[in-house]
Amino acid sequence: MNAKRLVLLVGAVLVLAGFGYLVYGGIGNNLVYFLTPSELKAKGAAAIDSPVRLGGMVVPGSVTWNAEAIDLRFRMTDGKGTIEVHARKAPPQMFRDGQGVVVEGKLTRAGIFDASNLMVKHSNEYRPPAPGHVPQEMYRSLVKEAGTS
Amino acid sequence: MNWKRSLVAAAAVVPVVGLFYYGMGQDPKAIPSPLPGRPAPPFALNAMGTADTVRLADLKGQVVVLNFWASWCLACRSEHEVLREAAARYGPRGVRFYGVLYNDTPENGAAYIAEMGGQSYPTLLDPQTRTAIDYGLYGVPETFIIGPDGRVVYKQVGPVTPETFTRYVDPLLGKREAAR
Amino acid sequence: MTRILGSTAIVVALALAVYGAVAAVVGVRRRDGALIRSSQAAAYANCGLLTLATLAMVYALLTHDFSISYVAQVGSRATPTFFTIISLWSALEGSILFWGFVLSVYTASVVYFTRGRLGSLGSYALATLHAVGIFFYLLLTGVANPFGAVFPVPADGPGPNPLLQNHPLMAVHPPFLYVGYVGMTVPFAFAIGALISGRLDDVWLKATRRWTMTAWIFLSLAIVAGMWWSYEVLGWGGYWAWDPVENASFMPWLTATAFLHSVMVQERRGMLRVWNLTLIIATFLLTILGTFLTRSGILSSVHAFANGPIGYYFLGFIALVLLVSLVLLAGRSAELKTAGHLDRLASREFTFLINNLLLSAFCFTVLLGTLFPLVAEAVRGVKVSVGGPFFNRMSLPIIVTLLFLLGVGPALPWRGAGADVLGRRLLPAAVAAGVVAALALALRVPSFYAVLAFAFAAFALVSNVQEFVTGARARMRAHGESAPRALLRLIGANRRRYGGYIAHLGVLAVATGIAASAAYRFEREVTLKPGQTVTVRGYTVRFDGLWAKDEPQRFVVGADIAALDARGRPYRTLTPRLNFYRNGGEPITTPAVRTRLDDDLYINLLAFERDGSSATVHVIVEPLVAWIWIGGLIVALGAAIGTIPTGARVRSRKVVRV
Repeated sequence: MNAKRLVLLVGAVLVLAGFGYLVYGGIGNNLVYFLTPSELKAKGAAAIDSPVRLGGMVVPGSVTWNAEAIDLRFRMTDGKGTIEVHARKAPPQMFRDGQGVVVEGKLTRAGIFDASNLMVKHSNEYRPPAPGHVPQEMYRSLVKEAGTS
Repeated sequence: MNWKRSLVAAAAVVPVVGLFYYGMGQDPKAIPSPLPGRPAPPFALNAMGTADTVRLADLKGQVVVLNFWASWCLACRSEHEVLREAAARYGPRGVRFYGVLYNDTPENGAAYIAEMGGQSYPTLLDPQTRTAIDYGLYGVPETFIIGPDGRVVYKQVGPVTPETFTRYVDPLLGKREAAR
Repeated sequence: MTRILGSTAIVVALALAVYGAVAAVVGVRRRDGALIRSSQAAAYANCGLLTLATLAMVYALLTHDFSISYVAQVGSRATPTFFTIISLWSALEGSILFWGFVLSVYTASVVYFTRGRLGSLGSYALATLHAVGIFFYLLLTGVANPFGAVFPVPADGPGPNPLLQNHPLMAVHPPFLYVGYVGMTVPFAFAIGALISGRLDDVWLKATRRWTMTAWIFLSLAIVAGMWWSYEVLGWGGYWAWDPVENASFMPWLTATAFLHSVMVQERRGMLRVWNLTLIIATFLLTILGTFLTRSGILSSVHAFANGPIGYYFLGFIALVLLVSLVLLAGRSAELKTAGHLDRLASREFTFLINNLLLSAFCFTVLLGTLFPLVAEAVRGVKVSVGGPFFNRMSLPIIVTLLFLLGVGPALPWRGAGADVLGRRLLPAAVAAGVVAALALALRVPSFYAVLAFAFAAFALVSNVQEFVTGARARMRAHGESAPRALLRLIGANRRRYGGYIAHLGVLAVATGIAASAAYRFEREVTLKPGQTVTVRGYTVRFDGLWAKDEPQRFVVGADIAALDARGRPYRTLTPRLNFYRNGGEPITTPAVRTRLDDDLYINLLAFERDGSSATVHVIVEPLVAWIWIGGLIVALGAAIGTIPTGARVRSRKVVRV
């Protein structure tokens, strides 16, 4: 093995090591844990300010949505623990009482979960509820207004 | 060809495939539920079409299968027959089956059962979705298997299969029948 | 009838693929030309059979033949004809059928263009193509059978997944992706053929260059079309979220891009032979892995299809391909010793080396981030997802370095140059980079990486354009041609090289578009009553009211939003919509996007009062987004120029040295 090859090899090893370190550190700092409200509460102060994906159900009657201020507040539960959620976002269309939701965000010092992203839990298996939620019925008045019905 | 080197390289396949094989057994959409292993939340619900109230506390000592469903849920249709067969098979062995109607009207629920050709076990009404919240429901169908000690043994998200019962109900019955 | 026609065609194709694979191998071993020719005939026959099966499925979809399982699954009488046709790839079975069809076309055309010229290498490659075919036809006869019988026959079906019938780009993205993915099977098959036959020189590379390029062009276009689709449908004003499905299409693109560069090093200097084989095998594996990840339900993704036993088949196939490739590569590694060696660091080949290192590191990072949730669950039993910040943090340094290299590479000659030559060649580019960087800093571009990206993009732009200018000038002097004529002749005479530079310019446009739209995104979420206005980054829009429309397959709620000029007069109405599909849960958004070369005004309808008294909208202004789509087209154009053969069948023409 000549000197040039050795230099190249050492260089490659160094680059790889540095890169590995970067990846390792990068992943560790950017993991988003998937928790339920009770699990989040069990973590206590350690959970504050670290990004979390929280899965649970909207507690019926807990939703307040202020359209003027784009301010959504509701409580979320997994049956064991309940947590107050606050989002400066419009609720998704299918968002309603008793719906399973996943929110992304951080727990603040005040113990309120600050959500930056809301996702309604849905997949091919979960079809939309029909009663009272048939869009044609919901928005019939809009159709009439537009006169295109 | 240098076969010795080949053999070493072939060994590298194992961990990769092993990881994926493990992953296949997991459901990434499943949200961790704190319930399995814990006592099942108690309920007292009215059985649809009757005046009876079913209390979980009264069912202690028995294996209970609790299936949350709704008439608007397509996946529930696909598991209806599986549940009917499981109830026919396990009912005589002392397993109690209950449906819980989720986010639906009793009229729609009754019409659905009639359309599907009936169901052998009662469906409970949960008008305030209080029980659904206690069980941390995300959607329907979801099925909970509760052991004789009143603890949740297993939670199935999405439709059940016959294997759900052979894997989780059979061991519970084996233990109980052996104890007798 | 259609059902029997389709399923019989697939069963026969499966039998022929098995025969073809065996006949090709036995034919080589026994030097039996007739057997090999029969294997080639099987490839032609399969192309016909799969075309027949695919047409049968399209016919069944169009005639709403709900006795066929796939039609019952994705068909609906209410779906418009256009979306009915493209629902061919809207669910698992149909897309595997399309995959099989594309594979059979590739296999037949490989036979047509190479038959009888490549000896044992070609026959083993044909056997490999047949073997890959066996896997897909096996899926089609079993777990992914689209022609299953349904009885009693339903009167109507649910229609395709709402996300996939909401935008015409769904007619472009999936088929292009499959044509790109499947195309990587060809170089893979030739690599395996080279390894088995022991013909480890450049023959397999040269024989597959056009196929690799074609597949790469389609893959590139598919990725850009996928970004555009996300942007036009998902409603958050972005185009890339590091979702596992996006990563799955990006990873093979990275390794294939590395391959396109490193083959030149092997052709010119005889180096990197093991590396090239590894890259193309990795590319093929990543296409299968991508399909596995999205089709097995192993990772959660917005785009994931329902899972089923098919995942185990893919896993088995991946294991087999990995095993065969590793065994062959390791067994032959001693025979693949590098012929050439690196003369200087400041050389074209060295920049290619670094380019390859970076692209594969990039691919590795994306792979790690994508699979990490799986590892974490297996090892530590926790559910995690790897956030976008990880991918951004890791990829930004790599991307800006690649942009820099993109400027350095073309200026460096093969075998290297001295510092003086280098300095002279790169001086204008360095000046341009300095000016742009100073300008960006003066304008307070908010992100450090955006400053670097703009500066290096300018650097690379000047450096690449310089190649055209120098070359055209030389022609003008030598042949007395006019400037445009000289430029065209220059490109025409050396298509591969200048096509490459054109593709580079496209990459620069994409990178600039991404950097600018990420760094200068302005947005507001606001609830408006009719007549109220909101201003975002100089754009004032007024909410004029809501309307709704009943369509057969969906119910649409839209908002009329007027864009106002400086005097407050409306000059254009934008209509973001929410589409409630009859068969789906969440409504699908159709944001209103006004695209211009300088910036995009993007309005998404988030929520509304049912009486029409107010609407909540998300207004986003992003600069230079259009350049991402334009850049994608330029990349494809450049690569296409590089793929067209120079002159008629001049096969081993000496390329003029720089």
